[in-house]
Amino acid sequence: MTLQTEMRVNRITDEVWEIPVTEKPGMVVPARIYATPGILHSMDRGVFDQVTNVACLPGITRYALCMPDGHWGYGFPIGGVAAFDLETGVISPGGVGYDVNCGMRLIRTDLTLGDVRPKLERLMTELFRRVPAGVGAAGFVRLNRDSFDAVMTRGARWCIEEGYGWNRDLAHIEEGGCIAGADPSTVSDHAVGRGINQLGTLGSGNHYLEVQVVSNDRVFDPETAAALGLTGQDQIMVMVHCGSRGFGHQVASDYLKTFEKAMRRYGIAVKDQQLACAPFRSPEGQEYFAAMNCAANTAFANRQVITHQIRGAFAQVFGRSAEELGMELVYDVAHNIAKVERYPEGELLVHRKGSTRAFGPGSPDVPRDFQKIGQPVICGGSMETGSYLLVGTDRAVRETFGSTMHGSGRTMSRAQAKKSIRGEQLQQDMKRRGILVKAVSMSGLAEEAGFAYKNISEVVETVDRAGITKKVAELRPIGNIKG
Amino acid sequence: MASSFRFLDDIALADLAFEAEGDSVEELLRAATRALLETLADPETVAETWERRITKAEDDPADLLFEWLSDIVYWKDAAGVVFHDAELFVRQEGSAWTLEAVLRGASVDQTEQTLRNDVKGITKHLYDVKQDGTRWYARVVVDV
Repeated sequence: MTLQTEMRVNRITDEVWEIPVTEKPGMVVPARIYATPGILHSMDRGVFDQVTNVACLPGITRYALCMPDGHWGYGFPIGGVAAFDLETGVISPGGVGYDVNCGMRLIRTDLTLGDVRPKLERLMTELFRRVPAGVGAAGFVRLNRDSFDAVMTRGARWCIEEGYGWNRDLAHIEEGGCIAGADPSTVSDHAVGRGINQLGTLGSGNHYLEVQVVSNDRVFDPETAAALGLTGQDQIMVMVHCGSRGFGHQVASDYLKTFEKAMRRYGIAVKDQQLACAPFRSPEGQEYFAAMNCAANTAFANRQVITHQIRGAFAQVFGRSAEELGMELVYDVAHNIAKVERYPEGELLVHRKGSTRAFGPGSPDVPRDFQKIGQPVICGGSMETGSYLLVGTDRAVRETFGSTMHGSGRTMSRAQAKKSIRGEQLQQDMKRRGILVKAVSMSGLAEEAGFAYKNISEVVETVDRAGITKKVAELRPIGNIKG
Repeated sequence: MASSFRFLDDIALADLAFEAEGDSVEELLRAATRALLETLADPETVAETWERRITKAEDDPADLLFEWLSDIVYWKDAAGVVFHDAELFVRQEGSAWTLEAVLRGASVDQTEQTLRNDVKGITKHLYDVKQDGTRWYARVVVDV
């Protein structure tokens, strides 16, 4: 099998590959891809083209990176990481993605598979009722422009103030669930119109709410697992994957248009229109950063409201309060975002698009509860296979701007997946294997079949062996809700 | 064949793409509109209880198509609707291309409608609108 590129790709280690600056005119830094030889060979052409396009952007520092779950995206590849000098570098919506602060949230419980299996049908029905999913779905939270502005600036904190969660949840969310610098005056009425009714909704595509089980034989680091609230012992967990919904999508669309014009003014040329960008310090760059932070906070709030609904569903089905069921938030982490972070080069603007922050032990940005073990990293696999909980490392901070993988990554198009299986058939097959699926769209379900994704275990092994994250436990699905 | 569209299998791994064509800009927009409406939901399962009149003007057909499709995505979220059809007319006056359309559909109803993909945005990735002889063609990748 040959690589899907004519560019020279040099082996640095068994998990790190480098495309030198000589391989494409305009490259400012080399591109580095984290992958095993097998994963590297399975990567689509877009990964190589796009990561080297990113390496051409002004002010990029050290390397343009792609994680092992990388695949073709818009502008940046999915799995892309790039850090820019604040004074000479750019900010690009193409480095964040349409779904600003798409991210993962993991909630633990004291329940076991034995407790849940007899009530799984009722539990999934109740979750499906309480957490709206699919195209056009509206949430139960009614907001006016003032309260939506408060969501934009206060994120998950707003939810806690409104009674949608517990105060201690905030300590287990990246940035405490509220990123500073969000300015509602930088978002359009169109963006507000798309998002104001969607708080507490999942969306569709690859977004999901999943009930999972952690068995003892899939806990790889018992001490770290215990520190994260995992007992193993067939423990039930709940994972949520979603983002800022229509609001964030419109922020991205609005500023891609703004930046197309701004680039001409600033004399910036890019290899791909979807890499439209502006100098970070320019008025346009600062406005997008403020608007993107509004969307990021809205995504934290979205996942917080969903958590409130999940706790309510479990409490109703099991007849005990969420506190009594031990439904603590393990962590919530973004995987589509741009943030200012400090590295040896100074303060840098780190874009992560389909990539997760992975800070190691002792980092001041890691919650106090996890100072000794490092930041939790939640990676979602396909709905048929499993997901992983990992922790960040110092090596990630040194090598990858504190970044790692975010999921398994697709290998098959949605259209091909739909041709391979019908949603109803997949639902039946999964039920026979003990996974109960509730889906709004049967065609959407077929698009998310497990065979359309890479083997997440191989992706996780890559980042574990590369030392940029350490695996803690595998979580296997028993119930899934999809839009 | 006044207009047609087809979904593309291999150019958008995680998302969806389609090609549309027509004998005029107006027919091209009709075909691309049908493709986007089909992406969101089966139009045959959607009633016509919601309606919005939309007028747009742009300097070229590519911008007009992009802005029109983006508007459909906006109304999907802002009004919480999916669509049955769109009646549309395009005219060229000097350098301006003007679209007048009536978008029709209904509030999302998971029990009655066959819902499909929740489109996040219309992208400029591989976006192309061109005229070849008397025929107009467009390629559109939508982020889902």
